[in-house]
Amino acid sequence: MAAVEIAKTMAAPEKKKTMEAPVKEKVPVHMTILRVVYYAIMIVTVLLYLLPFWTTVTTSLKTNNEAMTTNPLVFGSELSVEGYVESFEELSESLVTSLLVTLGGAFGSMALGSVCAYGLSKFRFKFDGVFFLLLSAAIYLPYQAILVPLFKTVSSLGLYDSVWGLIIIHSIYGMPMCMSMFRGFYADIPDALIKQAMVDGNGPWQIYWKIVLPNTTIATVTVLVFQCTSVWNELLFAMTMAGSWTTPATLALNQMVGSLSANFSTQMAGSIWLTLPVLVLYMFLGKYLIRGYMAGAVTAS
Amino acid sequence: MASITIKDMTVSYNKGKTLVLDNLSLKVEDGEFCVFLGPSGCGKTTAMHCIAGLLKPQGGEIYFGDKLVTAPRKGVFEQPQERNIAMVFQEYALYPHMTVRQNMSFALETMKTPKDEIARRVEAMADMLAITPLLDRRPAQLSGGQRQRVALGRAMVRDANVFMLDEPLGNLDAKLREQVRYELKKIQRKLGITTVYVTHDQTEAMTMADHIVLMNGGHIVQEGTPSDLYDHPVNLFAAIFLGTPKINQFDCVVTKKNGAWFFEHEYFTLPVPQDMVECVKPYEGKVIILGIRPSDLVLVEGSGEGCITGVVDGVEPLGEAYLVYLKVGEQVIVFKYNGEQDSFSGQLNLRPNAAKIHLFDKDTENRINA
Repeated sequence: MAAVEIAKTMAAPEKKKTMEAPVKEKVPVHMTILRVVYYAIMIVTVLLYLLPFWTTVTTSLKTNNEAMTTNPLVFGSELSVEGYVESFEELSESLVTSLLVTLGGAFGSMALGSVCAYGLSKFRFKFDGVFFLLLSAAIYLPYQAILVPLFKTVSSLGLYDSVWGLIIIHSIYGMPMCMSMFRGFYADIPDALIKQAMVDGNGPWQIYWKIVLPNTTIATVTVLVFQCTSVWNELLFAMTMAGSWTTPATLALNQMVGSLSANFSTQMAGSIWLTLPVLVLYMFLGKYLIRGYMAGAVTAS
Repeated sequence: MASITIKDMTVSYNKGKTLVLDNLSLKVEDGEFCVFLGPSGCGKTTAMHCIAGLLKPQGGEIYFGDKLVTAPRKGVFEQPQERNIAMVFQEYALYPHMTVRQNMSFALETMKTPKDEIARRVEAMADMLAITPLLDRRPAQLSGGQRQRVALGRAMVRDANVFMLDEPLGNLDAKLREQVRYELKKIQRKLGITTVYVTHDQTEAMTMADHIVLMNGGHIVQEGTPSDLYDHPVNLFAAIFLGTPKINQFDCVVTKKNGAWFFEHEYFTLPVPQDMVECVKPYEGKVIILGIRPSDLVLVEGSGEGCITGVVDGVEPLGEAYLVYLKVGEQVIVFKYNGEQDSFSGQLNLRPNAAKIHLFDKDTENRINA
């Protein structure tokens, strides 16, 4: 099957050539050569990117024995789900932990970021520029720089090694990025719409619920996917602020590498388990995402 | 419904460096159609936003009826949502995610009006504006004129204290603008609602207003009925701003010959009408500005005293009249002709309607004659 797969990718440029054949006569030779070179570069790059993932898939479907002895590029003599079963047993608890942290952290940071963005984009108040500057600076804050004081704060609050601790940390540190993404969308809502809603008898919160949120669902989905992915994949906070009672899946997988160093199949299957939710999220919300990335330029009206 | 009283309202930006409104005081009577007229940047929209509460002035007081709604010095400021005002913005600002019906019901729902009452009022207003077939569409599915009607309907469906319109006809084409102008005035009169209307278009102001407030540079230049402003402009700015085509201006010297008074222009001499003699006496030997509207010139046969002679430069037929452009020396003047003649060439002699001459001081540009 692997051979078929590779043959397919190898055949791709050939196919391209035959498809271009009728046009070839009109296009100058050097253009055709250039095009072949472009495609060659693209295909090589794509292969390089996919290679690790490909071997992850093949290895995850081998038995642990075969994983050590056979070529990582091809499937084993028989497909085995042994690794998946084993890694799921190992990871199931931490996957649930990750799910809770991701949902909590993404929701928290989005709620805070969205309200902040609304305030900063639609109202003028004293020092609003300073607040925006500080929040923007927080986006580029390297987490390593605050790790020690954060650890001390978290443990003195009794939040060390708990789901709540991680949710709060992600809510706060994810907030500036969410704010900056939401702000771009909210800035596109015409001010006249906000003023109109005010004149129609609504206070700032009512306007937020009734006008701003319903008109920016694409923004919400875009930030949701972004934020869920980044919290789900996060390792640094998981490693430093938790680890014994509360173990997010990224950390659990990392620990698997240490303890079961020989069981490549189980490790790779575990990686697949970890990737699956993100893939599913992109699959279902991907169409909104593409619109969302571009919708920044399109106004609400 | 309520009257609006503004006392000494001041708005400035950059800590007082840029003065947008300078001690503005005015009163809009209950049920009146008041137009804030002026060139862009004169502060008319700012004044309206202050009345609506969308902007907080630095100084002054605003009353709705007897109720103080804005007084920054006394710490009084009622939020816009508490003022019960209805507003139409130039860009319409329809809520994109709601149908026309939901747009029109929105403010009433916010005020917790009973459901059947909302339905009844929305349908009645939709009927009045002929938008009933559009009620279940969304704003994106409407044409410009339809959106404009919906925006008007959304504002008028409410039982508001004050109805405010910020250049609501600006985005419509000429024909639709005339139609909506007429309908708008009709509905306003029927509802008897106090209305503030902001525009830079003098035609809209002249045709719709009970009360025009002409503004320039943050000041009120003149206020009154359309005919007050048209017939007795207080200065050259007011004279130029109202009326199309624009008023003709001539620099004349006031002279006295054999006991009679004349306006002496480089190319013509006009006698001073008897009732203006007293006003021009202090200007003997000095230059003043003589303003005559294109429709206040009369074509006369033969040349002679008291005529302005010009060479035809161009003609614009309007259908019911002609606009004739004449060259008097280097200056081009306009004359509106309503008679039978249909071709113009060579020299024409025009006699101004003596009662409709406007005189302005050359330096202050203020009106001289009564």
